[in-house]
Formats: sequence, structure tokens, C-alpha cells
Amino acid sequence: MFQSATETQAPPRTQSDCDVELRKVFKVFNGETAVRGVELNVRRGEFFSILGPSGCGKTTTLRLIAGFETPSAGEILIRGESANQVPPYRRPVNTVFQSYALFDRMSVRDNVAFGLKVKRQNPSEIDDRVDRALQLVKMEGFAKRFPKQLSGGQQQRVALARALVNRPAVLLLDEPLGALDLKLRKEMQVELTNLHQDLGLTFVMVTHDQEEALSLSDRIAVMKDGRIEQIGSPEEIYDRPKTPFVADFIGDTNLFKGHIEECDRGSVVLRTDTGLKLVVRPPEDPNDRTVGRKAIASVRPEKIRLSRSAPETEVNYFEGRLQHAMFMGTHVHCVVKLTSGETLTVRQSALPEGHLDDRASVYVSWGPNDGLALSV
Amino acid sequence: MSITTNPPPEPPKLKPQTEASKKPFGSRWLGQLVLLGPAGIWLLLLLVVPTLVILELSLVADIRPGDVVNPDGFANYLRAFAPLNLTVIGRSISFALGTTIGCLILGFPVAYWIALQAPKKWRNLLLLGFILPLWTSSLLRSYAWITILRRTGVLNSIIGIIGIPPLELMNEPPAVLIGMTYSFLPYMVLILYASLEKLDRRLLEASADLGATPPETFLRVTVPQVFPGIAAGGLLVFITSLGDFINPELLGGASSMTVARLIYNQFLGQTPNWGFGSALSTLLILLVSIAIALLLKYGDRDAKV
Amino acid sequence: MSPYQLSSDRHLSRRHFLKAGAAAASGLALSGCGWTLANVRTTIDTPSDVLYLYTWAGYTDDELIKEFYDETGIRVIADVFSSNEEMLAKLQAGAGGAYSIIYPSDYMVRKMVSLDWLVDLDRDRLLGLDELFPRFQNPGYDTQNRHSIPMSWGTTGLIYNSRKLQPNPTDWDYLWDNRQQLSKRISLLNDGREVIGAALRSLGYSYNTTNIDAIRQAYQKLTELKSAIATFTSDAWTSQIITGDLTIAMCYSADAVQVIEESPGTAYLLPDSGSSVWTDTMAIPRTAPNIEGAYAWLNFMLRPDVSARVCERLSFATPNQVAFGLLPEEVQNNDSLFPPESALEKSEELKPLPTEVGEAFDLYWTRLTSG
Repeated sequence: MFQSATETQAPPRTQSDCDVELRKVFKVFNGETAVRGVELNVRRGEFFSILGPSGCGKTTTLRLIAGFETPSAGEILIRGESANQVPPYRRPVNTVFQSYALFDRMSVRDNVAFGLKVKRQNPSEIDDRVDRALQLVKMEGFAKRFPKQLSGGQQQRVALARALVNRPAVLLLDEPLGALDLKLRKEMQVELTNLHQDLGLTFVMVTHDQEEALSLSDRIAVMKDGRIEQIGSPEEIYDRPKTPFVADFIGDTNLFKGHIEECDRGSVVLRTDTGLKLVVRPPEDPNDRTVGRKAIASVRPEKIRLSRSAPETEVNYFEGRLQHAMFMGTHVHCVVKLTSGETLTVRQSALPEGHLDDRASVYVSWGPNDGLALSV
Repeated sequence: MSITTNPPPEPPKLKPQTEASKKPFGSRWLGQLVLLGPAGIWLLLLLVVPTLVILELSLVADIRPGDVVNPDGFANYLRAFAPLNLTVIGRSISFALGTTIGCLILGFPVAYWIALQAPKKWRNLLLLGFILPLWTSSLLRSYAWITILRRTGVLNSIIGIIGIPPLELMNEPPAVLIGMTYSFLPYMVLILYASLEKLDRRLLEASADLGATPPETFLRVTVPQVFPGIAAGGLLVFITSLGDFINPELLGGASSMTVARLIYNQFLGQTPNWGFGSALSTLLILLVSIAIALLLKYGDRDAKV
Repeated sequence: MSPYQLSSDRHLSRRHFLKAGAAAASGLALSGCGWTLANVRTTIDTPSDVLYLYTWAGYTDDELIKEFYDETGIRVIADVFSSNEEMLAKLQAGAGGAYSIIYPSDYMVRKMVSLDWLVDLDRDRLLGLDELFPRFQNPGYDTQNRHSIPMSWGTTGLIYNSRKLQPNPTDWDYLWDNRQQLSKRISLLNDGREVIGAALRSLGYSYNTTNIDAIRQAYQKLTELKSAIATFTSDAWTSQIITGDLTIAMCYSADAVQVIEESPGTAYLLPDSGSSVWTDTMAIPRTAPNIEGAYAWLNFMLRPDVSARVCERLSFATPNQVAFGLLPEEVQNNDSLFPPESALEKSEELKPLPTEVGEAFDLYWTRLTSG
């Protein structure tokens, strides 16, 4: 039923296959700029996430798309048409709100039927579509309840059904899983993915949870201070972050400040401010591969190997002391203090050679392709 | 360890438990007494006792100051239901209902604007502006309305300038409704404001998001959400305007006898009849109690489920 | 209440039911010993140099109180009531124990005497009773002034716009004869006895009739006038007669005199077929403290010079013949204030009625004002 949604909407006037486009969008509140020149395209059928720390402007961006805010400058296009002047109730988008914003004086059924009722659909069709939407989120048995009688996860499903029943061109999700506990969140993540695949709808999700973004999204936009730092697939964002912020924000990483000492096509030598010599992959942008330029090297904790004796490699091995090791179930989380002063986090599937004392002398090492130089 | 055939001995820990729970219970009583005592005595002396006295008096026919109270039947109530008195009660109720509706129609947009749209820093000042009239005597306000509404008054002078023929509002029911609505509007605005201020704005956004135009959002979301406030404000205005006789008397013209004035006459008029006055008062109390009961039962039903 | 607030109330002087409505409510308490209704007599002792009065608004002012203080050293504190019934209710409820002097009207004197609420005055302690007009020396409501001293009197009549109403009205029937032209330009007092009484009088009955059929006829007659009546009010007519919103209003002479002073286009009429005459008196309630001070006040008010001054200042008619002689000629000749004896012949004072007659008045009054 939901696949047909796109047919009911007017065909896009432009050739663009983008459901949502933001062109140099700014939003200023009382002199504070929340969104600074955001540009992004969300492709049809894509699961797109906007990821960033709190206060980065991601929610404002979503509200701009929903129409609750109007841009101070720039243009928003939905299905190729400018939506700047279109009020929220005429946009072909629906939102799943952060804490659901269910109508607590209406039953579950009335909540879900709300959008259809205000659009004056005929009653039998409303009943039909509401039933199917409730089935879709597995809430058909709760139609007569009121939101206060439901658990958080159930409310979440109702909120989803309430949005989906309208067959929007784009479904906006504002921290949809933020209020759920960990186990429920994992379950709902799976269901969201399934829904997305089954319905073929365009999803735009705002989240501060990088794991959630990585696991659910086709593409991610990482935001900071109202700007987009990087847009790319989860793999790109994780493996080839463009900025130290992205590298740090997505997953854990160890950052080394320094400058480029040598540079060739496949690798750069970076001398840290503390004097360590690191061999890592060069920056993405060829212009940044200049000798003498300041740079930061990022090495993911899981790429680092920990050993009791010196490893048989010529580069990227350093001596230090184990500060502490925490057993996390699937892995061991270690903190190592290098003799040069840096503190590294290291993630090992198991500690080498059995038991290690705290304060034990250890070596850390990684391959030249395991680290990445980032321009500052 | 014990003999299994015997009935199980009473668990020994039960006893200390009851003792333990008794002690705080006693002191809890004391605490409640301290907290509720003063207000309780106040209520007892100034509400419960007078109400009971009125109830008893209402059962005495033709009682006057100095007579011995000796309940003898329902004659006063039968008299209260005579067509003449029903007309008076009916007039009071329709004035009160009209005032309630008027206050709602005028008060809601104002409260809505102050609570949701006016700049935050102005809100208290705006509310103060609405409460300010309450500081003047209600009599004075009614006299002011005479000045405005009479045939040669302010209103007719103004509309005369733009060529509208003079309105004969004064000494007619519309004048009463205007005066009473003005008198009780601040209560309505305050209560609606309190209710609207708590309104979850995300629900309004959710409604717009689902395709509801602003008027639809207002009717389908805002009004149901603030219904308890509407009911409470309506009830307060209804009850207070039911007891108002100043506005009807000064603005309502020759046919403005209200039940409040009728009761007044039974106590302070030339031919007092405290029994009949008490019966009318009891009926009024009953009417108001029913309204409050309805509010409690239906006013916040969904929220309680 | 401070006496200083009184002078500002001067304009609206008498029987202003609404103004003290709130005060009345406080006097409404029951005093339920043995479930006898409101029959308590409390005396609250007051110092001998303080005297509490319970009076109508407009009968005292700062000057009068200061003059009395200068002569006797007694400080007067005056509370006001707006109806006789309110005053009685407050006393009966036990809330008037501090008052040494009260100001009941004629019929209320009768009623309070019958309820044994008023002290028998000691004539030996009173000076100048013989200086009152003869008809006030032995009034119908209180033989030989045994319980009360008259201090002001007046009539009930009609105030009208003398420019609009030509020829001028002369009697109550004018209202009925011209009810088409006067539609919604008439106001009558908010007082059943006065309104029904006026209709009774125009039908040739007494204000104090006990003939219930006569009361019904009066009610019938009033219903014919009903559609022309703008409102029943005892005070709100003042501004509206000045602005012309009302053309003719039933009122008390004391109020009319004040309005005519300010609004020369108006005139007062004492109807030919007769009207009601009222007398406001001073009396000492049974519960009064400071009896000495009370007699001092009565004697002070009986003095012709005092009476003349205060009557001229506050525009009410003195019952004191010597005081009348001291008044300026134009006040003496003010027919509204001092109607000629001939006009008064047909007028009556209101008397307390038997309960069933009172209830008939009440019933028809309720009908008239609610129909």
C-alpha cells in the first residue's frame, strides 16, 4: 500500500531524483545562527541520517524540512518544488516526534486516523488504512487504548503508524529511538530498517547516536555548529572521515597532533608534537598533502595491536604502560600511556598472553594503512 | 524444624510490622491535623455550619427574625417552584449562561494570544492589565457601563459619527450580558491562560504535520487539550454570575429580577421570609453542586483513564 | 469607617441599597442559641469620649463632627447603612453593639418599638423638643417622640425634564396618560412599597391599605405602564435625568433637590393626588453604650443653629421650626425641600403592614420586576 504513495503525489517538475534538497539554508533565532548554509540532497527511497552532538542544528534542519521553521535564507525543495512558502500542513512529509507527541486525549485509533480525518477521506477507507498501518507496526490489538496506557516502545509504534498512514513522500524522524532503553532501541532499529525496506519511502532521521546512524542509514550527514562537516555512506564516514571532528565523533579514535614530514602517493609521515613518527594514509584532498603542513593523525582503537614484547615491524610501534583494562564482553577496552606522554585507547578482542597487570609494560602498533592523516 | 501437622505458626515478624506501621500512622494523623486543622475549622464554621443552618431554615414556612426554628415541611420549596419564581431562576440561569459563553468567546482568543504568541516578557504585564479592572468596585464598573451604553452615551456618540443609528442596549438584557461579561472576563482569561500555558506545543506541530489547517488544529487538538480549563473557567464564571445582581439591576431595566436579588429580598427586604430565602439558596447551592459534579465526572475523563 | 469618607458621598444620599450590599451580607449571620433566629442583644462598651453612629450616607460631614468634638470633646465615628432593613438586620445579628445612635425612618421606628429595640427617651434630658414644627412634635409613628427625634424629612415624587414636558406634569396619572411618548424614558424607585403605593394613591387608595384586592389593582395598573418603564432604580436615575436619557423619574425629594441645583432644566413634583412622606429620626438602641454621649448628640442636633447649618450644607429639610426660620429665604421658599402644608395634606407616611399584606406587596413587586 505504501509503495503507491509516490504515485498519488504530483510528479516532480525537475529531473531531480531528490525528495529533499536544501540549498544554502540558514536559520537565525534572535541573533543566534542555528543553521549555517546547509546544503544537502536526500535521494528518493534513501535512509538519510543527520548526525551530530546536541546543539549542532540537526533538529532545526529537520524542522525546516517539516515546515515548523522557515529558513532565514536559502531554499528548501521537496520533490523538486520550493517549499519555503508551503505551511507544514501542506507538505508531503510527516514527522515522528522526539517524544512522540501523541494526542493523549485520543485513542490509538483516533491518533492514527487523525491525518486521514483532516484530509476528509471517506470513513471506510480511513478504517481500512488505519487497520493496515496498525498491523504494520504490530499494534492492531491496542487500537482502543490511550497513549498513557502504552509503554514507550508501543507509543513509538503508534507515532510511526500515525505518520506512515498518510503515505508521505518523506518520513522525518526526530531522535525516534532516543527515549527507549537499549534493548528496545535495538529492536526498533531492526524494525525501522525493515519498514524502510518494505515501504521504499524516503526516511530522514535526526540522531545524536552515531551507532544508530551507522547501522541504519544509507547516507549520513555529520553536523557541527550549524554546518555540515561531511556527507557520505557509513563506511566513508567511518573509514575516511574528512575532519578530526568527524573522526572523533564517529566511533572512538586516537588523535595525534603534528605536521607532515614526508609525503608520497600512498602514505605520509607525520611527526607529532611530542616527537613520535607515524606512518599513515594521506589526507583525502591532494591539496592537503604538503610537507610541513599541520595535520592530525587518527587511529581507531580496534586497529591497534597490543603486545608484551616489541612487534616485528619497523614503523608505528611504541612503548608504554597499561593504565587499565576493562573487560566489556565482546572485547577488552584498554588505556595505554605511551612513554612520550600520549594516552591511547586500544580495543582488543582478547588480551595477549593471558593476564596482564595494571602498570605492565606493553607495546602498541598498527599498520601504515590503519591510520589516516586529517588536515586541520 | 517444627511439626508439620500443626497449623503454621503466625510468622513472628508480622507483629513488629504492625507495631511499626501503627506508630507513624498515629503521628501521621497528628501531622494531618496540624496541616488541615486551621482550614478545616474555617471550612466547618464558615461553610458547613451555615449551609446546614440554611438547609434547616429552608424547611420552616414563614420564619422571620426572632421566631423559633421548627422544621415543618417543604412548603418553601413548593413556593420556589411556582411559575413566577421559576421565571426568575430561569432568567438568572440564562444571564449566567450567556455570560459564560460571552466570556469564553472573548476570553479564549486573548488567553491564547497571551499564552502562546505574545512575547514572554510581556505576558505578566498583559495579564496584570486584565486583572486590573478587578481592583475597582463592581458597582463602579456597572455605572461606567451605564455611561457607555445609555442612549446618549459614549457608544452611541461614537457610532453616530459613522452614521449608525443609536442602539437601545441600555436597560435591556444585552446590557446585562455586556456588563457581566466584562466583570467576569478576567477570571476566565486567567484560568484559560493557566491551561493554555501548559499546552504541549508539539501537539500543535504534530497536528499541522498531519495536515490539519490552523482552524482544524484549534478545534481538534487545542480545544480538547484545554478542555479542563474551559470547563473550570466556565464553571467559575457561571457560578459567580449566577450570584450577581448588581449588573442585572443597574443595566437590565424594568424586568431584571434575579434569583440573587430575590434571595436578598427575603432576608433584607421589607417583608423578610428567611425560610423561603433559605429554600431558594439551597436550590442555588444544589444547582451549582450539580454543575461541579458534572465537571468532576466528565471534565477530565480522558486524562484519568 | 472614617467619618471623612462621608462627605464625598453627599451626592447620593439616601437609601442606596446597592452600595452597602456587601456590608449587609456581613449582618446576615445567624445567632443560633436555642435556634431562635437572630435575637441577640450585645453591647460593646466604648470609651465615653467616642460615639458610634449608624446613619444614612449624607447626614453627617467632617464639619459637623468637628463642631461636636470642639464642644463636647467626644469623637464621633459614623457608619452608614443603605436601607432600614439592613440596619435592623445588623443589629439583630448582634453586630451593632457599639452604636449609641441609630437613624431609623418612621416605619422602622414603629417596627423597632414593637420589637422593643429602642430606649424610652428621658425627656428631662432633652432640650428644644418644643422648637420642632407642631406636626413633628407628636408624629404618627412615635407618639410624643417617646423613642425618636426627627432630624430630616421629605417626600417621594417625580423629577422631570421641565423643558421637554410642557405643560408640566401634576400627578401620577401623567405617566399613564403619556406612556407612549415617554416609552423607556421613565424610571421608578427600586422599592415595592413606594411604587405600588403610588399606584394605589392614584387609584384613590391609601399607601397603607390592607385591602389585598386594591394592591392587585395597583399591580394591574402598573403592568400597563411596564413597557414604558426603563428601569427601577433608587440612585442610577440621577445622571440619566441630567443627560436626558430619562425624562421623568420617581425619586426622593432630598435627592431631587441636589440634582436640581446642578441641573436647572429639571423640576420636582409632589403629585396632586398625594404621595408618601418620610421622616428620618435619631434613636438610641437598647444595646447602646455611652448613653451620656448619645444624649449629648441628640441635644446638639436639636439646636436650631446646628440644624439650620447642616441642613443647608447637606440639602435636607429640617423638622425644626426655629432652625427653618434661620435658613436663607431662597431655601425656605424651595418647594421641593419644604412643600406647602396644603400639598402635604394628601400625603401619608408609610406604616408597617400586617405580614400577609406585606407578602402581597412582595409578591406583586416580584411579578412586576420579573415579568
